[in-house]
Amino acid sequence: MTETKNILKLESVSKIYQMDGVSVKALDNVTLAIMRGEFVSIIGPSGSGKSTLMHIVGCLDTPTSGKVLLDGQEVSQMTERQLAQVRNKKIGFVFQQFNLLPRTSALENVSLPLLYNGTPSSEIPKKAAEVLGKVGLGDRLDHHPNQLSGGQQQRVAIARALITDPSIILADEPTGNLDSKSGVEVMEIFKKLHEQGRTIILVTHDDDIANQAQRTIRLKDGKVIN
Amino acid sequence: MQLKQLIRVATKSLAVNRSRSFLTALGVIIGVASVILLVSVGSGLKDFITGQMQDMGSNLIMIVPGDIDIEGAGAGGEAASGAFSSITASKLKLSDAVEIERSLPQIKDTAAMVMAPGLASYKSETFTGQVIGTTQNYINIRSSEFESGSFFTESEVNSGRKVAVLGYTIAEELFGKQNPIGEKIKVGDYRYLVMGVMKEQGGQGSLTSDDKIFVPITTAQRQFGMDNVSLIFTEVSSSDEVASTIPLLEEVMLRRHEEEDFTVIDQKEILSTVSSILDTLTIALGGIAAISLLVGGIGIMNIMLVSVTERTREIGLRKALGATPEVILTQFLIEAVFLSVGGGIIGILLGSGGALLLNNFIPMTVTAWSIILAFAVSAGVGIIFGIAPARRASLLSPIEALRYE
Ligand SMILES: Nc1ncnc2c1ncn2[C@@H]1O[C@H](COP(=O)(O)OP(=O)(O)OP(=O)(O)O)[C@@H](O)[C@H]1O
Ligand SMILES: [Mg+2]
Repeated sequence: MTETKNILKLESVSKIYQMDGVSVKALDNVTLAIMRGEFVSIIGPSGSGKSTLMHIVGCLDTPTSGKVLLDGQEVSQMTERQLAQVRNKKIGFVFQQFNLLPRTSALENVSLPLLYNGTPSSEIPKKAAEVLGKVGLGDRLDHHPNQLSGGQQQRVAIARALITDPSIILADEPTGNLDSKSGVEVMEIFKKLHEQGRTIILVTHDDDIANQAQRTIRLKDGKVIN
Repeated sequence: MQLKQLIRVATKSLAVNRSRSFLTALGVIIGVASVILLVSVGSGLKDFITGQMQDMGSNLIMIVPGDIDIEGAGAGGEAASGAFSSITASKLKLSDAVEIERSLPQIKDTAAMVMAPGLASYKSETFTGQVIGTTQNYINIRSSEFESGSFFTESEVNSGRKVAVLGYTIAEELFGKQNPIGEKIKVGDYRYLVMGVMKEQGGQGSLTSDDKIFVPITTAQRQFGMDNVSLIFTEVSSSDEVASTIPLLEEVMLRRHEEEDFTVIDQKEILSTVSSILDTLTIALGGIAAISLLVGGIGIMNIMLVSVTERTREIGLRKALGATPEVILTQFLIEAVFLSVGGGIIGILLGSGGALLLNNFIPMTVTAWSIILAFAVSAGVGIIFGIAPARRASLLSPIEALRYE
């Protein structure tokens, strides 16, 4: 039963980086569970391991030890290829730097994940336009990133994260590069997505933003402290 | 991910960097175009020369100075240079031709030849042509029509008279509209009486009569201080008799010469010798051009490596969004192959178009094999030089790549 309730489960996850003989423990024995439909924020000082945690949850990286169960599937021992497929199907990333392709329209940026899951190319533009409509950019389909404001760019990135209908949306400081007004707009979108039943994990430095989530996980020196 | 979409992604990123893509492909464009052009020059030359030689007729048997190894002609220039050096030291005599004519009645005609460049002048007009000293039978073998007058006869050859038959171009240059027959032209310090003008033949080199001045061989030998001849050629009545006549000719010649300082060859042999020499030339030209194709390939690799570094964040992003290493590898390979194949196609169009255009001035033959080869090589170049950059891209770690500034 817990497998269906918990969309994500970390059991004693550690990540150790080896650099010039010095080992850095970025994550230290982290155990946590996130329920389907939950909106969780992760907060902690710089270098506390927030991004490292997001990378492991997002299958961009594998833990040095411990287990990661995503949607009931053990992902910590998967090959690069399998991880890529899990990222495509189950994860929606929103980055601090937006990471949109330059000289490429909003529509095409949002389409990117569909290129890698076998969606028939005839359906892609329609789907992308639909999701862009949901984030309020239905009239900006052909704009390139440099023709959009920071807030609009981040909304394109959110649309891109949503297009594969992922199990979890992972946002690493999504408002970090935005002014406060755009930040509020972006947070409104996340709250709306949460209301629609999406699972969201959001990393932030900012207590005000963290408090808008249902639950806050605090990290310090790679450990969960609450 | 379907190949169709991968191709779309690859073309899209090439289109985004339009001018860089074009400059990268330029190396291949130039390489392929020059392969096709140079090969066309080589094969055009071959077609031209062998075509002209075929016009000579297949009943001809030639006796040339020197012991030339015809079978070894495949080795390329060796036979040709042997032939050149032996012309200067020819041991053939006019009396050889006379003896052949006397002792081998099955031979229809025999002619001997000497050649020397000569400046011909008439009043204030001058023209540098080729003086051909030959015997009266020359005109039977190389049947040419006359504009006016006729060829010289046996008695003029025997008495070494100073008479000349002019090729069409020479006559026109020296005399314009005036009738040259009965006029005297000067060649060196000899004055020749013009007794015939040949019809225009067209073509170039040794196979056209247009720029030649024909004089009796005895007169030419006297004027140029020669006691040998450069070439003897004979004609049999049908090409079936060629093979049986060659040993008879060799026998007559060997009786008169202490050593084998001559070679008896027929048109077929000359044709195969010449075409094998020209084949070697064509391959050499193609090979030189192929080097530029290789340089073009290295250019693609260079730009693709730069492109992978420049697009590190893009690669990281694509991986984060679900592109597997194989997909990234394929995307970059397709980009490289598109650059090289696209360059190849443009190069083929430019090369063959250029060859067809130049064909108006020099003989050019665009060969299918050079097009197919150039295309295959350019595609191969794209794959070979695309692999290293594509592998590098596929192995990038997504986190490192996303962090890359
Ligand atoms: N690739 C790496 N190699 C070595 N050490 C690393 C690597 N990535 C992260 N670290 C280290 O792991 C620790 C946690 O880094 P992480 O990026 O997770 O912190 P963070 O909480 O996201 O910080 P910030 O709020 O500044 O983004 C840091 O001490 C960092 O130096
Ligand atoms: Mg971070």
